[in-house]
This record gives sequence, C-alpha cells and structure tokens, in this order.
Amino acid sequence: MKLLDIFLLSLSHVKKSRMRSWLTIVGVIIGVASVVAIISIGQGMQENVQQRLGGFGADIITVIPGYFRATGVHSEMHTDRSVSTSSSINLSDRDYRVIKQLPGVMYVNGLVSGKADLVYDNEKTVVSITGVDTSVWRLMDTTGIEEGRYLQAGDSNSIVVGYNLAHGTFLQPITLNRPITIGGKNFRVVGILKQSGGFGGGSDTGIYMPSGIARDVISEKVSNNQFTSIVIKATDATLVEYLKADIEQKLMSSRQVNPRTKDFTVIASALIREQMSSVTETLSFFLSAIAAVSLLVGAIGIANTMFMSVMERTKQIGLLKAMGAGEREIMKLFLIESGIFGLVGGIFGVIAGSAISLLIPFLGIQAVGFGGDMKATITMGTIFFALGFSVVIGVLSGIIPARHAARMRPVDALRYDQ
Amino acid sequence: MNIIELEDVWKTYSMGEVEVQALKGLSLKVKPGEFLAIMGPSGSGKSTAMNMIGCLDIPTRGRVLLEGQDIAALNEKELAKIRGKKIGFVFQSHNLYPTLNAIENVQLPMRIHEFGEAEIWDKSEELLGLVGLSGRARHYPSQMSGGQSQRVAIARALSTNPLLLLADEPTGNLDTEAGKEVLDIFSQLNSRGVTVVMITHDEKTAARANRIVRMIDGTIAS
Repeated sequence: MKLLDIFLLSLSHVKKSRMRSWLTIVGVIIGVASVVAIISIGQGMQENVQQRLGGFGADIITVIPGYFRATGVHSEMHTDRSVSTSSSINLSDRDYRVIKQLPGVMYVNGLVSGKADLVYDNEKTVVSITGVDTSVWRLMDTTGIEEGRYLQAGDSNSIVVGYNLAHGTFLQPITLNRPITIGGKNFRVVGILKQSGGFGGGSDTGIYMPSGIARDVISEKVSNNQFTSIVIKATDATLVEYLKADIEQKLMSSRQVNPRTKDFTVIASALIREQMSSVTETLSFFLSAIAAVSLLVGAIGIANTMFMSVMERTKQIGLLKAMGAGEREIMKLFLIESGIFGLVGGIFGVIAGSAISLLIPFLGIQAVGFGGDMKATITMGTIFFALGFSVVIGVLSGIIPARHAARMRPVDALRYDQ
Repeated sequence: MNIIELEDVWKTYSMGEVEVQALKGLSLKVKPGEFLAIMGPSGSGKSTAMNMIGCLDIPTRGRVLLEGQDIAALNEKELAKIRGKKIGFVFQSHNLYPTLNAIENVQLPMRIHEFGEAEIWDKSEELLGLVGLSGRARHYPSQMSGGQSQRVAIARALSTNPLLLLADEPTGNLDTEAGKEVLDIFSQLNSRGVTVVMITHDEKTAARANRIVRMIDGTIAS
C-alpha cells in the first residue's frame, strides 16, 4: 500500500472520531505549550542576566568596602553604597595606588557614590550620585553617550545624566544645558547616557559628576582621600581572574587584614555572569523537566487513545488483513495516526506556548532577584524542537498499540465481537 | 485446475485447557465457475472451513492448495498478498470500513495492492454501477442500509479480480428483501463466470447455489 494511501486512511480515522481525537490532542497541546513557554522564559531569563551584567564589561573589576562571607555577613559589612558608609571602612587613595601599580591594570577609577537631593524644574527627588575621575571615566564607560559629551578634566559644575532619569523621571525631560540643583549646588547638564538596561552601577537612573564635587553634594561623608568603590579595567579580559586574585592579596596586605578580618570585596562581573548563567541554566533545566512531565502525560493520553482504537477497530484490522494488508502496513496506519496527534498537538502547543511567552512581559511578573521585567525569547530552534519532539512522542506512544494491532491474526481479528 | 483444494484438513483450537477439533479430515474442491454453498448448523465447523478456503488460517494437519500451490509453503506476508488478490471476502456484518465512503471502500483493496490511480477509479465506479449503487458513492456506511452495505462489500470483493468470491453468511443480517437482492447479485455474477463460495446455515439461501456441501461435526456429511 502506498504511503499516501495509508496516510489518508489514518486521516479518515482521526476525522471520524473527532471528539476523541481533539481530547487526545489537547493533552499534547498542554504538554507542548508548557515546554515551549518554559524554554522561552528560561532563554529570556538568560538573556536578561547576560544583558544586565553585560553592562559591566568583561574586563572590569570592582572593589567595594565590606565583605561577604559564605557563612554570613561580616559585622562591619556595608554592601549598599547608598547606605551611609562609615568612613573607617571606605577605600583610600592608598588602596587606589596599590591597585594602580599592579601589572595587567589598564585604568583605575576611584568612585565616590551616594545619594543627594535634586531639584529640577520645581520637582524634587533623591538621586544616586557617582563621582568619577574625569580623566579615565570616558575610557572605561561601557554605556555610551547618547547626547552631548562625557565629563572632562576641568569640569566642576558639569554633570552627565542617566537615560531613564533624563527621559522618564520628570514631567519635563532633562535636556542638555538645563540647570539642575543637586545638594544645594547648581549644575549644568553636559551629556546624557544611552540606556544600559543593566545593573551597571545604576547608570540609567544615576548622575555622574567629578568626584571632587560629589564629595560635597552627597549626604554621606566621604573624605578627600577616600572612595566608596574602585573600578579597574584590565588590559585584557583573560587576565581578570588572575588580576582579581592579585588585587585581593595586595589589598589585604596593604590594609593589614587577613582572610578572616577582610573588609573589602573584589567583584569581577565576568565571573558573576558565568555563575548567574549556570544558575539560570539549572533553573530552566529544572522547569523544563517539570514541563516534560505534562508532555509525558500527553503521550500517555495518545497511547491510551491508540489502544482504545486498536480494540475498537479489531474487526477492521481483520478486514484489512483479509484484503491483503501486511503487518508493516497496519503498523504504519496506526503510527501515522498517533503521529498526527503529536503533530497537530505540537502545532497548537507551539502557538499556545508562544502566546503564553509573549504575554509574560505584559503580566508584569517580576523575576525574583533580578529586579527587572521578565521577558521570554522564542527561537526557531525552540519551535522546531517542540514540533519534532511532539511528533516523535506521538509516534513512540503509538508503537505498542500499533504492534499489537499489526500482530493480530486475521481469523482472530475477524471473529472479534464488538 | 481447482481454485481451492482442501486435502484431509484438520484444525484443532485450544480454548484454554480444552482442545476443540473444529475440522476433522475435511476434503473439498472448488472448481472454477461454480456456485458452491457450504451448509451446516452452528458448531459444524463451516466457519473454520471458510477460514481454510479463504487462506485466513492454516490447518493443523492436511493441505490447502490455492491454484495447486500449498499455502503452508508461504510466509505470512506472501500469504496476505495472495489471499488479498485472489480471494474476495464478503462477511456477515461490519463489512465496510466505517471511516471511508462507499467508493473509497471499493477502492481500498486496489489501494492495498497498489493499482494505478486511473484503474482504481474506473474499476470502482464500474463495480458500484454493477451492484446498483452509483448514486451512493459518497455515502458512508452509517448512511446506508444493511443491504446496500453488503452490495458495496460485494463490489469491493470483486475489485481485485479475484479467483473466488467467498461469502460468510452474507444475508445473515438482512431482511428477506435485501437478502434476495444480494443473492441475486451473486447469481448474476456467477452467470458471468465468477466463482462463488457461500457459507450459510439457511436452506433457502443455500438453494440458490448450484452445489451444496453439508457439514456436520467438522467434516462433510455423507
């Protein structure tokens, strides 16, 4: 029997028992839809993490005061720079010099960060201020300038504004040359940053100014020879891991602390990114496994339907065999039918799963710990994988019933009473 | 040459622990062009005899020769091919494929045996006309009466130009009128040279044949 004729015969079965066919297919749809949605959400999550951490650059190392410990938190720890930091554990220009003379260091930027009151166009708010070393900031920034320019040597009352702060915070968007009062002092906007979308030091909502003047306007007290963090750009991204270890060691000896009393933390974003990726990978793998269970239930549904139709059609199988159909043809007949269930379920499942994925951002679900919108990424790979997988599942769940049908002896099948 | 020849055929079924001897040394010849009725009460082994004639089953002992060839020498696949091509079956009930319409049912054996598309359509239309159901070509089995279904089944059984039309109680589920129509078709086909073997328990039905073999206890009653 030609394959096309077998296919048409299978199709006639699917069409004739419409209700049962659809119920079977719904089982597959649910399974495929959840797999597609979860894979897409997982990929979206990965991209989110990559994008957010990507703002840092792979060759950037940051040193901040305070120390995370695996078993808890050091008593003097201050991780959030916005919290008023006791001056005793700020980083000093001695630390700055120690770092600067290490091999593999390209640029070092001592930052002074804090909060300050801002008045603009009669609106008042509190913003994050980052005081930077104007000579190196432009060389290390990974966000980019949208309008205007970076800060330069000699700037004193100039500021650069983050994208979201400029465009989304005030009724009247901040534009170049607008006067802004920060911490009681008057400033002029010389540049607006591009949107970074990342954690990148809060660049989207922050204000950048020379570090000298930042010490005067922020509410925290940071003395002249101190920094709230130090950012290092390595000469090469491959050196980051070694440089990080080197910085830790040199700073420990210059600050006269040991691993137990360590009072600073060295962060290499590239390393964090790897860790975060592996966390999200594990998470999406785990979620996919759960989704796979519902797909398995769908497969059992197919197998069940196929067994029922083999039973119901025993007489027809006998008829086909009497007319000369062989085992292989009967086998194909049922496998194609279960494959159709898989394929149709797969198609609708992909559509439903994609719809769910696309709805995710609108539902405003916040990904725990990432502080951003959740998004889903549907790739062609996911779609083809889901379709192929559901067809395979369909065919596989049909194998046992089909073999059962194919091996019936024509006499027994014909004698079977319904 | 005989179309089918049964030589001292024995058939034993085991029903659980009990062995049932359905055929006990049945010998029978079906000659080309004859209209043979095999008669007998239930339990006489006539259905088992039909399975043997139709090559649906193989004997426990003895030989079945289809056109002189021992079917025991064929494997399952070869047997299926030969059986499907050379024997046209008409069963008592559930004869038609329910998901296919009348003409598709007639075409089914030809599709199984991979006839050409043009031949499939010419032949199926011709055969539906022969049984008087041209107007019902697109009707599904659930939309046809029992008599119509049996006529479609006959058209289908003829589609591969079989040596033999083998009918198992073809009128068993039909009223007198519809039964008569079906039997008329058999007679008509036989007069055109089609060999017909019919299994029945009904005297009147058997009377339409030109040879009657009576079975009892798994063999021919003398």
